[in-house]
Amino acid sequence: MRPQATYTTRRGTTMSTSWSRNQNIVRHKAKSLGTISNTMIVGMLVLIVGLIYVAQGTQATNYDYELSAIDDEIAELEARKEDLAVEKARLTSIASTENSEVANNMESATNSGFVTE
Amino acid sequence: MSRNRFLKFGLLAVMAVIVARLFFIQIVQHDYWTEKAAAQQTLQYTLRAERGEIYMMDGDEPVAVAMNSTVYTVIVDPMLADPNETKAKLTEILGDKRVAEWDDVFADRSLRYYIVGNNVERKAAEKVAEAELDGVWLQANTKRVYPEGGLASTVLGFVNAEGVGQYGIEGALNDELTGKDGLLKTVKDVNNVALSIGDDNVKVPAEDGDDIVLTIDRNMQYQVEKILVEQTKTLGYKNISALVMNPNNGEILAMANVPGYDPADFGNVEGAEEYVNHVVEDPYEPASVCKTFAFATGMEYGVMTASSTFNNENVTYVDNWPIKNSTQKTELLGMVDMQTAFNWSLNTGSTQVLRWLGGSETEINAQGRDRLYDYYYNHFGLGQATGIELYESVGLVYAPDEVEYGVDSTYANMTFGQNMQVTMLQVAAAFSSVINGGEFYTPTIVKGKLKDGEIVDATPRKVVRKTVTQETSAAMREMLYNTRRAYRANGTDKAGYYIGGKTGTAQVIKDGEYSFDETVATYIGFGGTEGENPAYVIMVRVWEDGKTAGGEAQALPVFNVLNAYVQDYLKIKPSGN
Repeated sequence: MRPQATYTTRRGTTMSTSWSRNQNIVRHKAKSLGTISNTMIVGMLVLIVGLIYVAQGTQATNYDYELSAIDDEIAELEARKEDLAVEKARLTSIASTENSEVANNMESATNSGFVTE
Repeated sequence: MSRNRFLKFGLLAVMAVIVARLFFIQIVQHDYWTEKAAAQQTLQYTLRAERGEIYMMDGDEPVAVAMNSTVYTVIVDPMLADPNETKAKLTEILGDKRVAEWDDVFADRSLRYYIVGNNVERKAAEKVAEAELDGVWLQANTKRVYPEGGLASTVLGFVNAEGVGQYGIEGALNDELTGKDGLLKTVKDVNNVALSIGDDNVKVPAEDGDDIVLTIDRNMQYQVEKILVEQTKTLGYKNISALVMNPNNGEILAMANVPGYDPADFGNVEGAEEYVNHVVEDPYEPASVCKTFAFATGMEYGVMTASSTFNNENVTYVDNWPIKNSTQKTELLGMVDMQTAFNWSLNTGSTQVLRWLGGSETEINAQGRDRLYDYYYNHFGLGQATGIELYESVGLVYAPDEVEYGVDSTYANMTFGQNMQVTMLQVAAAFSSVINGGEFYTPTIVKGKLKDGEIVDATPRKVVRKTVTQETSAAMREMLYNTRRAYRANGTDKAGYYIGGKTGTAQVIKDGEYSFDETVATYIGFGGTEGENPAYVIMVRVWEDGKTAGGEAQALPVFNVLNAYVQDYLKIKPSGN
């Protein structure tokens, strides 16, 4: 026997024939973005990635500048250190020491001997 | 044709030209433009390795005697620089470092580069920079400096304008001192700053040269040079060389040549002769100090002792050639013992040793020659490079089969150090082995390398070969001691010390013949506490072109002064204390 074609709901409304009872009768239709929106989103994403890339590149370059400045400073300090080492060596050279004011004011050594029994 | 069509075809043609041009540039000329771009975008320069420093010992501490310093070249761009302001400020700042006359600098204002100051030190360079002069800039360079001035100049050598070591340690160990340059190759920006981005960046760090520590004692070197300078004045001779070494390990404690020079101003010399280290680079006839080796050889073969006797006539004939004694004292005629022959340096006595080596009283034969050559060359190393870390001459000791004429007289002469060429160092190294128990050490002037304040890579000192037996060594020490006492040096040596030595006076070959107008004086001796191993060996050589110098008259007094100093400096105590 063919099922009942129409029936009346409890609320008194009449439903079509081919639907069975208790079935979901709401029909959903998928919505999609338009072409312009898609393009905008992709563009934005590309822009964001680009900005991140540029920011990273700039950051790396900043580090390179800092590194370069530090390298220059190290070279400068090393050169100063070398100069000071040379100056120290000159001041403590035997000739400088011997001719210094302190040495000139020292008394001459006297002969010493070993104690013999 | 309509205007639209015309425009279309026109645009098409222009585009075709552009496409063709792009194709040419990007495809056909790809490599050319890539290279050009890389050249613009790439920073590439050599990372200079720093030249190693040279140290001497001061007690147990190494002290630098050859160092590096940054100096600056001051350059003027005459087109940009203001003549009046530049002249006024740079004249005051540069002082004696100015190398150009201002009229010359600004004579041609179209020039862009003129060096006005060289070797300008940092403080002055900073003043130049602070002056902010237009058209003036600085270029940094490295300069070799010698804080001790001319100390040990012939041992150290110098570094020439190309940065290459010449003479001495600077020349002989140039490779070790130079190190290895590195390389930096990176992408750069417009400010010439190296950028870390890029896939082809290369950084090979420079490897600095080794810091070399010498065995030379700075204080002793200074005093020895000072004594030699004083002695040139006292004795009136231009050249004196001296060597102080430890006979028990071959280490050189002082090596000096007077006159020397300032290695920082190496161009300021009278001639290249001043660069020569006569101790190692200048072979000469060692004369009678060689009797030490002839007599030791005789003892080794058991053909003589200090008390062996021979008939001295003050002259002996070999190959019909007279060999005379330098002293013709009549009281020495007749039978004399070998100690007396050694004391008076009798050439007839050393010639007799050669005869005895051949098993004969009267003839020199092949056995005697072979034995003497074997000991001179193979045992004592005379006529051979010693292996010290310096440029050294080999000298010449003839093998018996190398002598074309008068082989007997040649070998008779060799017993008293003529007809052969050796260096002072060869003699001192051989002499050390004779008096230290017979142990030959390769002489060394390098103690090791300085790394992080520690001396490393020191070559272990080991006996290379035995030259003579303990018994021969002891007997020769005694002969040398007795000779020094007998040789009118008695009274100059303090009691409790054991000091021995031998004089030498060698004729010099001039125009192919031995000259009677020029001689070289030498003295070699050892010293130490009586009853103990000798602690040091000192060798002295005195000479001047066109002058005669005697071992006793000129070299012995220098030895005596040096000996007194070295004895005190090394704190050698007399026996019984």
